[in-house]
Amino acid sequence: MRADEDQLRRWMISGLAGHAGDHAALLAALVPLLQAFYRRRMRNAVEDVEDLVQETLIAVHSRRATYDPDRPFGVWLFAIARYKMIDHFRRRRQSCPIEDVEELLVAESFEGASIARMDVDRLLDTLPAKQAAAIRDTRLDGLSVTEAAAQARIGESDVKVSIHRGLKALAARVRGEP
Amino acid sequence: MDTEALIRSLSTDVKPVPRHAVGRRVALGLGLGAVGTVVLIGWWLGFRPDFGTAMRGYSFWMKWIYTSMLAGAAIVATVQLARPEPSSLRWLRILVVPMLLLAAIGAVEMMRVPSRDWLAMWLGSSWKLCPIIVLILAAPIFIGLLWSFRRLAPTRLRAAGAVAGLAAGACAAALYCFHCPEVSALFVLTWYTLGIALASAMGALLGPRVLRW
Repeated sequence: MRADEDQLRRWMISGLAGHAGDHAALLAALVPLLQAFYRRRMRNAVEDVEDLVQETLIAVHSRRATYDPDRPFGVWLFAIARYKMIDHFRRRRQSCPIEDVEELLVAESFEGASIARMDVDRLLDTLPAKQAAAIRDTRLDGLSVTEAAAQARIGESDVKVSIHRGLKALAARVRGEP
Repeated sequence: MDTEALIRSLSTDVKPVPRHAVGRRVALGLGLGAVGTVVLIGWWLGFRPDFGTAMRGYSFWMKWIYTSMLAGAAIVATVQLARPEPSSLRWLRILVVPMLLLAAIGAVEMMRVPSRDWLAMWLGSSWKLCPIIVLILAAPIFIGLLWSFRRLAPTRLRAAGAVAGLAAGACAAALYCFHCPEVSALFVLTWYTLGIALASAMGALLGPRVLRW
């Protein structure tokens, strides 16, 4: 079974408080996540994946003070993982074709996506119910505006306005504005 | 080394991390660097002898408040970029507020003197040296911040270098007030700001090289 965002975050916070056992559990749980993350993105250099996983574990350990317990864990983790990968390419002076760059930026492993999905759920919970429902229906569940309006029994323009306002509020929150 | 052994060895050393550890670490590096800058001023430039009287004049406080506002914003941005997550720096546009305030003071000062004195007021007696001195005084503080970053996780190295340089430059300029006898707002707005901008540019230049981890 793979640990979810909440579990990872609990281990992380407990590790920050000095509990070595939870810290070890966290690092162990990160190994499959990071392996999937790097394997997906480095198909030309699979032999480097293990090195990168270890480097990232060391960074997660030695720079754990930069994790803010009030923020999502997954975003912090993958920001470090992504940095380590870019640094790795830079060190190798490796250039990668532009199509691959696009894939690097777009591709999200299953784990990454599911952690992101949990982060999104948490963010949506901070919005008014109507805006959250409108965004969830149209942007996550793939309904059309008409279908979402019918489901919520409100007007289509109401749905559109809710989506717009909700996304704006979310964007502000992700950027760290109040 | 296999990954399990690595995890075991990492987990033997799990010291508790205090809350706001990033802010503390930045404050410590900044403080150590500032001590270096103060020592450098004392040894190289000397403090102004009329320091007690100067502190009562408005021009000292104008310079000090202006540079401190720039420093405050730059320090907040440095703490922000010390974390790995993507974040927006657009709020740094508020840096124009202290600049506009100082420009307003400068305009008032210009109205109060005849126009033939404007050039002298703008250039003061040290305009050639001031930016360079601010840049040199920024070096110890920048080095202090580099020490802070050794346990932090910046992912945008050029931007992190730039805001660390900005913080170092603005703090150095605030400390330079204890030596510098210039009094006009236009002087400060131009030459202090130029020195601070040079420090920031230097930080942006060095960032990708010295902040890697």
